[in-house]
Amino acid sequence: MRASLHLIKKEILLLMRDWHALVLLFVMPAAFILIMSLALQNRFSAQSGVHIGYYLLNRDTGAVDVALLKGLRAMHGFRALPTTASQRELEAQVRGGKPRFVLIVPPGFGESLASDTPVPLRIMATPDVFPAVYRLFQSSVREVLAKVYLKQALNALARQSKGELPSGSIDMDRVNKLLVSQSLYSPGGKGRFPSSVQQNVPAWLLFAMFFIAIPLSTTWVREREQGTYMRLRSMGLGMPTLLFGKLVPYIGLNLLQVISMLLIGVFVVPWFGGNTLTLGHSWPALILMAAVASFAAVAYALLVANLVTTSEQATIFTGVANLLMAALGGIMVPRFVMPQTLQAVSHYSPMAWGLDGFLDVFLRDGGVSMVAGSALKLFAFGGACLVMTGLYMGWRRGKH
Amino acid sequence: MRGKALGAVIHVERLSFRYPGSTCDALRELSLDIEKGSLFGLLGPNGSGKTTLISLLMGLLTPGSGCIDIAQEGVSTRAALVPQDNAFYDCLSVLENLHFFAGVQGIRQSERIAAVIDTADLGAFRHTRAQRLSGGLKRRLNLAIGLLGEPHLLFLDEPTVGIDPQSRHFILEAIKRINAAGTTVVYSSHYMEEVQALCDEVGILDRGRFLARGNLHTLLGGDRGGQLSMGLDRAPDPALREALSHLAQCSDKQLKQLFALLSGTDVSVDRVRYGHADLEALFMHLTGHQLRD
Repeated sequence: MRASLHLIKKEILLLMRDWHALVLLFVMPAAFILIMSLALQNRFSAQSGVHIGYYLLNRDTGAVDVALLKGLRAMHGFRALPTTASQRELEAQVRGGKPRFVLIVPPGFGESLASDTPVPLRIMATPDVFPAVYRLFQSSVREVLAKVYLKQALNALARQSKGELPSGSIDMDRVNKLLVSQSLYSPGGKGRFPSSVQQNVPAWLLFAMFFIAIPLSTTWVREREQGTYMRLRSMGLGMPTLLFGKLVPYIGLNLLQVISMLLIGVFVVPWFGGNTLTLGHSWPALILMAAVASFAAVAYALLVANLVTTSEQATIFTGVANLLMAALGGIMVPRFVMPQTLQAVSHYSPMAWGLDGFLDVFLRDGGVSMVAGSALKLFAFGGACLVMTGLYMGWRRGKH
Repeated sequence: MRGKALGAVIHVERLSFRYPGSTCDALRELSLDIEKGSLFGLLGPNGSGKTTLISLLMGLLTPGSGCIDIAQEGVSTRAALVPQDNAFYDCLSVLENLHFFAGVQGIRQSERIAAVIDTADLGAFRHTRAQRLSGGLKRRLNLAIGLLGEPHLLFLDEPTVGIDPQSRHFILEAIKRINAAGTTVVYSSHYMEEVQALCDEVGILDRGRFLARGNLHTLLGGDRGGQLSMGLDRAPDPALREALSHLAQCSDKQLKQLFALLSGTDVSVDRVRYGHADLEALFMHLTGHQLRD
């Protein structure tokens, strides 16, 4: 035990003097969380009134329905920009990405609405627009068109039947009243949707935690190259003591990382104009998830540190492997949008287990029982990594 | 099974080892006895098995076959290793390194640390970070760490590589003092003159086997393929010198030619010596001149 304490103390001293590692472990993830949370804020808060601008060019000098223009100008999530430019100029601007769309009401559109050969509205989109945003814009325009067309058709029907439709009987806004949507996001209060910081922090937190593998593996490789590892073994320190001496300080460091990133979500992101991170209501579940995720990340790092032979290998391998695990685990792309085969594979990604657990805490207000499954999987993964590390170290000693 | 020699602190018998994944043995049927209090020189080209042997003796590797007995009169011996590399932490100071390595061994720190600082003459550099030490100081710190546990048996793996003559002299003198105080030293090196100056027993290892082993003076004066050196009473004239230069390898026939040449001149032989002139000559003779790396 005394040897372990000295190993832990040494590791802390080394880490405190390795500024590069500290920058990598604390400053970079902090900056990442801050930037990503703010950058994605608009995307996540579409329901709360942030608008994507578009040009509305009305070239119909005839009797275009006032309701149509009013509806287009009131589309949720989009804002019609005033313009006096020509169609050609607008096209050039949209091609350049400013703004994302131009919607052209062609000459004679209003007249043709009830005819057999209608003149269609035209949407032109910037090449780099997200397909989801494009479809949302298209659907919003269709919804306005449908309302206008339906109202016009019903009025025509009423005229044909020589009677007026009863006043107020065609209230198109009633459609909106027939649909109530509610997010089941718990900590933020009923009906509210989770903010970008709430949805992002768990993912980036986990991503950063697994980056502990870089400083740990490079330190271990350096110890092996310099002969300190051999010297410690020659002083009678067994494999479990050496592993314990790495595991404890690095788990501590990892937990400090977690605390710092959560504090950034709670205090720093709002200071820059973003939303505040809500930590859920179950501290035990959050602590459990942080502890097992740390254990898994550090145990994985120890395995990598033993498998690689040079510092360069350690840096490249851990960097690329983390990106792959993150991609597979739903950190970068939500798993539900992946193809079925990839979704099936993603069930075996430790980052996916970690993300599930953290999302349970942050978005579903989950307690210990809810995160137990994810925690158990991460713990088993960490245990398996340690066992493999032990077996590999034993094998390298010449034990068969 | 051959018994352990009386007074031997290291007894190795028919020791073999092969690294996982390798197709040939790193050590083959190696036997060795090292006496208590001796200073044993372990020589061999790169890849000959020196570090493997030391690792096996330190228990860092597990033998494939054979046995290793490191004990003095049945009591296990405190052994320490000074590795070939500067095996300490660059970011820690001299004192922090010594505290750490003492701590992990459960050594009462202050007294021993003061003693090894004194032995390695590191007093002025206690608070200097290891990365800022010169090559010679780093070697001295490396040695000091090895001495923390007051070892009965000290393995030194090339402890003077890459340092200036003054530091080398200091380290060699320190090793002599450590040995004189009763510590058995196994000294592995490529520097033949160091081994020749320090050691009384040597073992020349190549391709996992001892090519020669025993008392240094016996080996240098031995009768296996040595050098014949002759002293002439005066400098030979250019014609004789030219003729002699063609006689680098003396077969029986050439030896006759040599004496015939000399008998036709007024130069006479005033001394003849047979044996190896120095350890390097013996080493090169036994291990060959081919490059190993």
